Amino acid sequence: MSDRRTSVNAMRRGGGFGGGSTSGGGSGGMSGGGSGGGMGGGCYIYDENQQANPRLVSADVSFDRGIYMNGSMTMDDGNSVRIWGFTEGGGGMGMGGSFPSPAIRVNQGQIVHTNLSVPMCCAHTIHHHGIEPDKYSDGVGHITWDVSSRTYTYQWKASHAGTYFYHCHTNTVLHAEMGMYGALIIDPPEGMGTLFSGGPVYDQEVIWAVDEIDSYWHTLDWTAGTCGADVGLNDLNPDYFIITGVDGAQSALNAPGIAATLNVGEKLLARYICAGYHPQRLDFGGLTGTIHMSDGRALPRPVQVKGLRAHSAERYDIIFEPTQPGEYIISADILHWVTGEVLGTARTRITVL
Amino acid sequence: MKRRDFLRLGGAGCVSTMLSGLGLLSWSARSHAELIQRTFYITEGFIDQIDGTSIYFRGFSSSSDSLDVPGEALVVQAGDTVEITLVNTLSSSHSFVIDGVVDSGSIAPGQTRTVRFSVEKPGTYMYYDALDAPHNRLLGLHGGMAVMPAGSDNELYPGSPTFVQQYFWIFHDIDPAWHDRLSRGLTPNTEYVPRFFTINGLGARPPGAPGNGDPATDAMHDPRTALHGKVGDRTLVRILNAGMCSQSVHTHGNHMEWLTQNGEVRADVWKKDCLYLDGNKGALDVIYPFETPPDAWPPTDVGEYPMHLHSEMSQTAAGGYYMFGALTDIFFE
Ligand SMILES: [Cu+2]
Ligand SMILES: [Cu+2]
Repeated sequence: MSDRRTSVNAMRRGGGFGGGSTSGGGSGGMSGGGSGGGMGGGCYIYDENQQANPRLVSADVSFDRGIYMNGSMTMDDGNSVRIWGFTEGGGGMGMGGSFPSPAIRVNQGQIVHTNLSVPMCCAHTIHHHGIEPDKYSDGVGHITWDVSSRTYTYQWKASHAGTYFYHCHTNTVLHAEMGMYGALIIDPPEGMGTLFSGGPVYDQEVIWAVDEIDSYWHTLDWTAGTCGADVGLNDLNPDYFIITGVDGAQSALNAPGIAATLNVGEKLLARYICAGYHPQRLDFGGLTGTIHMSDGRALPRPVQVKGLRAHSAERYDIIFEPTQPGEYIISADILHWVTGEVLGTARTRITVL
Repeated sequence: MKRRDFLRLGGAGCVSTMLSGLGLLSWSARSHAELIQRTFYITEGFIDQIDGTSIYFRGFSSSSDSLDVPGEALVVQAGDTVEITLVNTLSSSHSFVIDGVVDSGSIAPGQTRTVRFSVEKPGTYMYYDALDAPHNRLLGLHGGMAVMPAGSDNELYPGSPTFVQQYFWIFHDIDPAWHDRLSRGLTPNTEYVPRFFTINGLGARPPGAPGNGDPATDAMHDPRTALHGKVGDRTLVRILNAGMCSQSVHTHGNHMEWLTQNGEVRADVWKKDCLYLDGNKGALDVIYPFETPPDAWPPTDVGEYPMHLHSEMSQTAAGGYYMFGALTDIFFE
C-alpha cells in the first residue's frame, strides 16, 4: 500500500472547504478545516516542501518553459477569450504567449529535461502525456508535487517515436481547458520525414489539435473549485471549436501548419490530437487516410479510414496520399459526452494540386 | 422508504462487506462446471457526498440491511450454471438483466424470484435492472460479471493475451436531481447533468482530504480498484460504464493492451494510453502490463501513477473538487 497518507508532502493549502456543508450526515460530510491564506486560497495543491527531482542526470536536450495566464485568443466573431499556457524560455507572466504552447520535439533515444519555472502567483505542472517516466517526472501533483515559486526539472527518455502532447496537471480540468498544452513529437533515428523507425515516410506534416472552448470556464481563477465551491467544472458547454489554437469556424481553413496544400503523389502526415474533453468525430471530406500509429505506438496493421472517432487525449497519426486534385474539407464534430449531439464543428482543408 | 434512516453511508461508499478479502478478483480454474448461487436483495438508501449532500441510491445488495453500488463482482466460468435469487425489498418493481443472457422480467414489490442461467461465451458482462431504463441502472442497480474460459485462469477468451490478476473498473456518473425525482416516484424533468463521478462506487479523496487512504472511502486506496503489481504482473481490467457519459480512460506508467470493445474482440491488439469508453453500458477489456515504465530514466521498476478519465469533467465532484471524481492509483511495487 502507499505511504502517501503519512507523507510530509501531503497537505492542503488555503481556507479549507468552502462547500457550505449543511447536512452533517455521516463521515462524508465536510467540516471546515485547513489553515488560511496562501496560494490564493487553493486546496489540494502539493508543493509544500519544494522538493527537487532526486533522480537527475545530465540531459541530451533541454527545454525551458515558463507560464502565462494573461493570454488571449481572438475568435472569428471578433470576441476574445482568455488563454493560459507555457512560454518558450523560463520567463513568465509577460505579454502572454503562443497558443498552443511551443512544441517540444526530440529524437528517439534522447534524455530530455523539461525545466518548468512558475512564479509565486500560482501552481502548475507539466505532464508529458503518453510519456511514461518515473513518478518524479510525471507531473502529477498528488503523487509527487506541483510547482510554484521555483524551477523544477522533469527528466525522461524518449523511447518511442510518435505524437504526444504536454499539458498542465494541476486542477487539470480547468488548466488544460484554459490552453496549457502543446505538441510533443518524438522523431525516429531517421529524423523528420519518417513517422517511426521502419515506418512510413511523409513529405509534409500538419498538427490538428482539436479542442472546444467554454468561454465561461475561461473567466475562472486558477484555484477555481479546488476548495469545494461549485464553479460548474462538471459541465462543459463549449461555444468555440478550434484546431491547434485557431478558430475552426473559418480561420483554420487556411491556417499554415493546419491546412495543407500538396501535389498528387505527395504524402501528408496529419498528427491529430483530441485536445478537448468531449468526444470528437472526424470526417476527411472524401479523402481516405491511413492510420499508422495511435498514442505513440505503431498499429500492428495500418488501417484505411475516411474518418474516425476519438475521445479526450487520444492521438492518431494519419497519412494521406491523395490521387485526385481537389479541395477536401476536414471536419471535426465535437459531440456532447452524454447525448452525442453535435455541439459544434471545426474545419480545415487539404488542397490537392 | 423505511431504510432511509439506517442505510445512510459515509463517503460515496458502499458497505464494508464488499471490501473484505482480496482486492483483485480471485479465481481458480476448474475442470468441471459448477452451480454458482447468490442472493441479491434489492435495497435503497442514501449515500453522503463530499459536499455534504446525500443522494438516493438503489442496489443489488448482499443483505437486506446493506446497499451495494455496484453489486458484487461475480466471477464464473463458461459452462457454469448461475442461480440468482432476487429479493425485492422495495415498493417498486425491478428486474435483473444481462443482455443476451438472462432477463428476470418484472419482480413486483416484496416479491422474490430466482433466475437460473448458464453462460457459454467468456467475457465481461454487466448485470442491471432494465426496468424504466436507464433510471434503475443509474440509481445503482448494476454490477459486473466475469465469465472465464472453462479451465483457464489467465485468459479473457481462449487464446487471448494472458494475465496474472484481474480487476473490475465500473464507472458511474450521478445527477442528484434525477435521483431525487426518481426517489419520489417521479420522472426526471431536467437535462441530465451529472455532478458526481465514481469508479466501483467511490470517488477519490486526495492527500489532505477527509477519508484519504481509507479503502472504504477513497477510490485511490480501494483494493477492488487501485492496481498493485510488480513488473511482470500483467493485469486484466474489465471496464464497464453504468453511467451516461462517454469517457476517455487514461493510464499513466504504461500503455494498455486493448483487447475488446463493447464485447467484441479487436482484430489487432493496439497499445493505447487513452481509450474511448462509450456511455450507457459501454465496455472495454484491457491488460495493464506492469512493464518497466518505458520512458523512466534512469530505469526504475517502482512508483505510483494515476489512472484517470481524461474527459476531465469526471474528475470533479459537486462542480469543483478536482481529484474527487472517478480516478484511482496504480502502484508498481
Ligand atoms: Cu493528459
Ligand atoms: Cu494525465
